[in-house]
Amino acid sequence: MHTLIVIDQPPYGSWGGRESLDMAFSLAAFDQPVSLLFIDAGVLWLKQGQEPDGIYQKSVERNLAAASIFGVEALLAEATACHRFGLTDNNLINGVTRIENTGTTLQQYQHVVFSG
Amino acid sequence: MPADIHTFTLVITGAPYSSQAPETALGFARAVLRAGHTIDRVFLYGEGVHLASSLASPPSDETNWTRAWGDFLQEHSVPAVACIASALRRGLVNESEQKRYQLPASNLAAPFEIAGLGEWVESTIKSSVQSSRVIYFHGGA
Repeated sequence: MHTLIVIDQPPYGSWGGRESLDMAFSLAAFDQPVSLLFIDAGVLWLKQGQEPDGIYQKSVERNLAAASIFGVEALLAEATACHRFGLTDNNLINGVTRIENTGTTLQQYQHVVFSG
Repeated sequence: MPADIHTFTLVITGAPYSSQAPETALGFARAVLRAGHTIDRVFLYGEGVHLASSLASPPSDETNWTRAWGDFLQEHSVPAVACIASALRRGLVNESEQKRYQLPASNLAAPFEIAGLGEWVESTIKSSVQSSRVIYFHGGA
């Protein structure tokens, strides 16, 4: 059963997304198929060159770069949200697939988890 | 087990007194059992771990959600687990974690337990069976 974890909050300002990422890594650690979908302001997770030192936080960019190594199958991002936040091929991290139809994507997974 | 009997896992990620998640989940849990279904476990994640704090002391004319949930869990023998990573970050510890981190107190209310995300993964794997569901109760923005 393939789980889709949906993150709709920006990476800094809330812990919700980070704890969702832990869920994804945990499923992957147990060899359960899992993918991540970033929607709304959540797409900001996928921006290159994050420097959160000024707010005493660790960059989430490194965690996401390791996602495929840990067994997360896909990093999906809502295309319209990427456009809204100015994310293009030039400033998205590697390995992101942009999707046009979120509704169709959600239906492809048996278990969908929204970040709290 | 008849085909129309379902097993539910409840995941609560919203804290009491800042969200309605624990009370909505308790209403759902009671309805589940009343309808003849079963609950295999309750999993507290993120802000939801605050539900397991024995130190919450709301005014006497308000519901104590920790106690209300604790009574429900004990009456129906439903196990409830708080995620250890979420719990430690937020200052919710049992006696063994208190010793491990040399903390001045522990505050995990009975019958809640502390365990890893593997418990949630196990429920997720089980939910691939048609008659099993994982339901999430979030705090909202």
